[in-house]
Amino acid sequence: MINLPYSLPMRRDFLATVAGGFGSVALTDLLGRSRLFADAPQPGFNGGLHHPAKVRRVIQLFMNGGASQMDLFDYKPELFRRAGEKFDPGTNERVEAATSAPGNVLKPPFELHQRGQCGRWISDLLPHLAGHVDDMAFFMAMTSKTNVHGPGSYLMNTGFLLPGFPCFGAWVSYGLGSLTDNLPTFVVLPDARGLPYNQKGNFSAGFLPVTHQGTIINTTLPEPIADLRAPASATFITPEADRDGLALLQRLNRAHLAANDQDSRLEARIRSYELAARMQLSAPEAFDIGSESEATQKQYGLDQTPTADFGKRCLIARRLIERDVRFVQVWSGAGGPSNNWDNHNSIVKELAPMCLSTDQPIAALLADLKQRGLLEDTVVLWNTEFGRMPFSQGSEGRDHNGGSFVGWMAGAGVKGGTSYGESDPWAWRAVHDVTTNYDFHATVLHLLGIDHERLSVRHNGANRRLTDVHGHVVRELLS
Amino acid sequence: MDELLRQFRWSATAIGLLAVGFAQIVLADDATPVDFVRDVRPILQRSCQRCHGAEKQKGDYRLDVRQSALHNGESYAPNIIPGKADDSPLIKFVTGDGDVVMPPEGKPLTAAEVRTLRQWIDQGAKWPDDVAGELKDKSDWWSLRPLSLKDHFAGNLSIDHFIRAKLTAAGLRPAIEADRLTLIRRVSFDLIGLPPTPEEVSQFVGDVEPNAYERLVDRLLDSPRFGERWARHWLDAAHFAETHGHDQDRIREHAWPYRDYLIQSLNADKPYGQLIQEQVAGDVLYPDDPQATVALGFLAAGPWDESSLKDIREDTLDRQIARYLDRDDMIATVINNVSGLTVQCARCHDHKFDPISQADYYALQAVFSGVERANRSYDPDVDVGTRRRTLLKRKLQLQQKSAEFVATLLSPAHQQLVGDWEHKLGTQGAVWKPVEPESWTSSDGATLTRLPDGSVLSGGTRPDKDTVTIIAAVTLPKVTAVKLEVLNDDSLPHRGPGRQDNGNLHLSEFEVYIDGSDTRLELVNPRADFDQQDWGIARAIDKSEPTAWGIYPKVSQPHAAAFELREPLNVSGLTKLRFVLKQRHGGGHLIGRARLMISDATPPVRLDLLPEPIAAILATRLENRTEQQRVELTLFQMGEEVDRELSLLPKPSLVYTAAAEFEPQGGLVPPPGPRPIQILHRGDIKQPRDPALPGALECVTGLPSRFDVASEAPESARRAALARWLTDPKNPLTWRVIVNRVWHHHFGRGLVGTLNDFGHMGELPTHPELLDWLASEFRDGDQSLKKLHRQIVTSATYRQSVHAMAEAPIANLDPENRLLSHMNRTRLDAECLRDAVLQASGRLDLRMGGPSDRQFDLQSGIHVTPKVDYTKFNLDSDLGRRRSIYRFLFRTLPDPFMETLDCPSGDQITPVRTNSVTVQQALALWNDVFIARNCEHIAARVEGETNSSQASDAELLRKRVDRTVELILCRRPTDDERIELTAYAMKHGLANVCRLLLNSNEFLFVN
Repeated sequence: MINLPYSLPMRRDFLATVAGGFGSVALTDLLGRSRLFADAPQPGFNGGLHHPAKVRRVIQLFMNGGASQMDLFDYKPELFRRAGEKFDPGTNERVEAATSAPGNVLKPPFELHQRGQCGRWISDLLPHLAGHVDDMAFFMAMTSKTNVHGPGSYLMNTGFLLPGFPCFGAWVSYGLGSLTDNLPTFVVLPDARGLPYNQKGNFSAGFLPVTHQGTIINTTLPEPIADLRAPASATFITPEADRDGLALLQRLNRAHLAANDQDSRLEARIRSYELAARMQLSAPEAFDIGSESEATQKQYGLDQTPTADFGKRCLIARRLIERDVRFVQVWSGAGGPSNNWDNHNSIVKELAPMCLSTDQPIAALLADLKQRGLLEDTVVLWNTEFGRMPFSQGSEGRDHNGGSFVGWMAGAGVKGGTSYGESDPWAWRAVHDVTTNYDFHATVLHLLGIDHERLSVRHNGANRRLTDVHGHVVRELLS
Repeated sequence: MDELLRQFRWSATAIGLLAVGFAQIVLADDATPVDFVRDVRPILQRSCQRCHGAEKQKGDYRLDVRQSALHNGESYAPNIIPGKADDSPLIKFVTGDGDVVMPPEGKPLTAAEVRTLRQWIDQGAKWPDDVAGELKDKSDWWSLRPLSLKDHFAGNLSIDHFIRAKLTAAGLRPAIEADRLTLIRRVSFDLIGLPPTPEEVSQFVGDVEPNAYERLVDRLLDSPRFGERWARHWLDAAHFAETHGHDQDRIREHAWPYRDYLIQSLNADKPYGQLIQEQVAGDVLYPDDPQATVALGFLAAGPWDESSLKDIREDTLDRQIARYLDRDDMIATVINNVSGLTVQCARCHDHKFDPISQADYYALQAVFSGVERANRSYDPDVDVGTRRRTLLKRKLQLQQKSAEFVATLLSPAHQQLVGDWEHKLGTQGAVWKPVEPESWTSSDGATLTRLPDGSVLSGGTRPDKDTVTIIAAVTLPKVTAVKLEVLNDDSLPHRGPGRQDNGNLHLSEFEVYIDGSDTRLELVNPRADFDQQDWGIARAIDKSEPTAWGIYPKVSQPHAAAFELREPLNVSGLTKLRFVLKQRHGGGHLIGRARLMISDATPPVRLDLLPEPIAAILATRLENRTEQQRVELTLFQMGEEVDRELSLLPKPSLVYTAAAEFEPQGGLVPPPGPRPIQILHRGDIKQPRDPALPGALECVTGLPSRFDVASEAPESARRAALARWLTDPKNPLTWRVIVNRVWHHHFGRGLVGTLNDFGHMGELPTHPELLDWLASEFRDGDQSLKKLHRQIVTSATYRQSVHAMAEAPIANLDPENRLLSHMNRTRLDAECLRDAVLQASGRLDLRMGGPSDRQFDLQSGIHVTPKVDYTKFNLDSDLGRRRSIYRFLFRTLPDPFMETLDCPSGDQITPVRTNSVTVQQALALWNDVFIARNCEHIAARVEGETNSSQASDAELLRKRVDRTVELILCRRPTDDERIELTAYAMKHGLANVCRLLLNSNEFLFVN
């Protein structure tokens, strides 16, 4: 399937009119929507930048707080055998935890069973997802550089422990540009309860032009995209005033342009108002889930309180992808100590509701995408910033563990039913075929037709990449 | 910070691929001498040099230069041991015989190739001189060369002289001077960040006296608005914001004084050297100036990881990693901005491109190893500051007890004071006596242990809640007060005194009974040395279990609470007391170690108690006291007096800076002194190597790169040494970097395009001579930034039109206008735009300084990070009218409107802002409520100003349109514009005209 980025011809025309001044800079910025690279996405590469792409669109589901690997996917009999004993990995390594004194070995309070043809272990807390394991590919031994939420979330989203670096979605937007001018390229759907740790820092464009940052959609508001329309308080702005004003503005701006040489930025601004008008027209429809059938709404769990919010956002994610948004990030859990995956106090009481709220919606999303043929060129990612400890915090909680955690992907280019990597017998440390955020990102970028080592930007003296100076494509999980 | 990588070039692959064919035909037996050029080099080129060659040097190793190939390498050097192929790591790598396999991707070496390499090494690894290659001498670099003295430049030089010489050489002509309207709009935005008012425009345009422009420039430079504009540029570079960032984005209530310091200092035209010294070590170098301490806000301006640096356990690797990273940010802030070198690239290995070693980098880590980011106290009033320093010096004297000093203490004058004090003290001096616990029990299964000092330690499995009961004999004949001490212990999180993970405790109820009865003694006048906010000590005796006493964030230190008995208790020898410590809040908020005390003093009792030795002296009759005892007593009395005087001084103000001394905040405590710093191999906390001593960069020749600071000297000595190093006239970087920075903000582009990178990866100067001339004039003059500004903006180069003289060739000869054949058009930045809108509406409030305006609704969040809602801000409130530099900057949730205009969040050092044109920006300018509301304000202003009953409606509307255009675009409309805009205004009202003009390119750009 070869699908030319919509605006390619326009961009070429545009380039032809550039003369002097800050031309190239401004073009890149405006066309951040469809970035003009020296090596722009190649039509023959199926939208890829450096090689043919298998994936053109991404949905990333992010479990905020550090989802427990051994309770969900990484089955470890040793934890059941040694439950209640003092934790001793037998490696002479110091056992420490970020916020507590290490307790005794804590076995998963819910059972795990092998599911699907692949026999993937999965918790009974995820009965719906269990039906899709043959479509999923697991990074079973991921490791983080930190055991702290702030730096951990930055690392998993931007490749750096510190704030101010572009996130995954921003890099994809920068590298590949938009597939549509009707909607933003990179959309973020935060939990209705609030933003995750680091708030907007996780969706930041960092030092890339601001146009690449995630557009935050607040699904609880009647106007999900900010500034799409004039504020209700401004009664002087009527639809006619708006329309006539825009026409007159463009006339004035063209006259100004005629008197001011050829400056691509001035042209770009004129064009940006035209694009804005298109977005005003198209965006509301994309967020209108009322047009979805009752069956679909039920499938995503919109009719039940625990699943309603996450289900709605998964459904919106599908609608956005369908309308050619390039990258959608859906968050589960807000920042803070509760109502997320940061289950310090009780795995029983805190993990179960998180699974309940996401299990059915994610399964529905996978099924729906597949049924509509969207999985042909869309990949769904499931991530978290780190894992949890094999021993207890307090009596039945778990502290942070950057030593080992799990992520998975499903969809285009992914070899379903596979897994890569292995942790130690306690899921404490990743030991075999260890992967990092860099490897995960390198792999997904690879699917998008991007060589992660060649997607770089010079900033404050260094060529910066999403994968820093690391990253290997994990081909074992690719079809 | 990490490896610098250049983009891989296809050509390299192509060469490599061609080489394959040659490499494989080499089939030598062991005896045949291997020829490096013919046999070996092709293998290295094909298989190794993509990562170990001219472009990249992974592991600090390259195989295209003999010197490096035979000797360098981060982890395994030497990789080639001539004569010993078997021992050479290189062979192990290419055979996959070990942990490391090379090449990591792509085709492995063939057996024949490996054999060739083996033979070559075994035959002595001969590498001919003519192909040895050369490692570039990184320190031979333009920006590091000494800066000539001012006198070096002969003749009557000017900016225009240098610029025109280059233009002529390139066959270009300078543009004509811009018209006066353009000039005043340009130079006003440029110097003060505001457009001229219509009145200022007409005054300047009509000024026929000589030097009208120069007088305009002087007026702008003298305006207090100047500092507000230029401080903003420096705040970008410092990446200043008023919350921590990260997952616990706490508000920094005391960050703003640094912003005011900058504004005042720039307005006062402080010499640049002093400005830098103050921001790095003002507290030591200018101790008498309180503002020089405020200046240290520079070092603390960037983000701070509260979770890692305060909340997690002190004994974790994460804490140590976070400390190195936190200092990394301070180092980058100083060295990037002042010296223009990307020193942070040397954290994991020597800088790939610039002559900066890892040792240099860690020497800088050592400079900042004695500070944290915290609220530091200072006295804004100079006299109060002097008094406080005197008292603190006295206090130190009392602690040091030099013989000389002690000898003065027994003078009659001193003894008189001691006598008066003792008289006043009365019975308050009585001692608290620890009780002797006889039994101690936990209701919920904690393991309690009695320690020798009479305290009871709680250990074992931590229950969620607990009630601890302690029964003790009473050893005084009378009890008037009881005291509870909560103490530290190494077994407790953060050393306690609580057992919660953060070191806190919650005492729900504190009850005292006569043992064997249910008679609860009534406690009154509770006092504690510290109360957690909303968790005061009174809550421990309010007979309500849901309320409790807490001590967060002051963990890691002991605390005490005293209570008086409403009725003194007279006891017989057999009376015992039962103390019940209810800790029912849950979440493990338990007391870790408690000690109980009783007193028989007449209330009010002192909480802080006389130390036992002092009490003993006081109990001794005056004539029986030894000389030593009298000295001790005098020292004690003087200490009390100093403390009393200190307590009478106005409370010091706080400013968020780098600080060695500050009030502990939970797990964030003042460092014990400069922390030892070790060079971290590959930047890895688990691989510490040699200790690092404070210093700076060796590549700056003529200055010592390691500082002569005694190891026992306070940390501030290290910062002072760095400040001197930075501002030494022999340091060529400082002066080149600042004049270039100023140049950039005037022309939209520096003479060196990379403001903070004067190294090999940065750009070369377009006009090196001009840069050096400006820099040396600046350094050797009075380092006045205002003079530099004047010099630049009065140049003919600056005053040029944006329209180039020759149209066609320019685009080809100098497409980016690097030679400045005309002026660059710039886009208004976020602050200029917002301030210009407010000025047009007539509502701009020019009040300066003070706490920042929070232009959002603020509610407490789920955890530390508060909830911020910009949509709920009342734009018409007074908090919405000041200049943008006084806006509160929330790091993880910046103002979305300002963000679309590229206003930085403060996450990254931002010497140059991006300058984007986006759809989001168009939407924001067209629809944001800030613009919409101010359109109404501007329209109302204009309507108010043009209320003439004589004019016809049409005439009136035309006048109003004229005025609106004048307020927003600084000019009158053309006839055509007037017709169109008036027609539009007639139909849709004046506010819509404002909206249109505020969205126009003419408004948004400056010619």
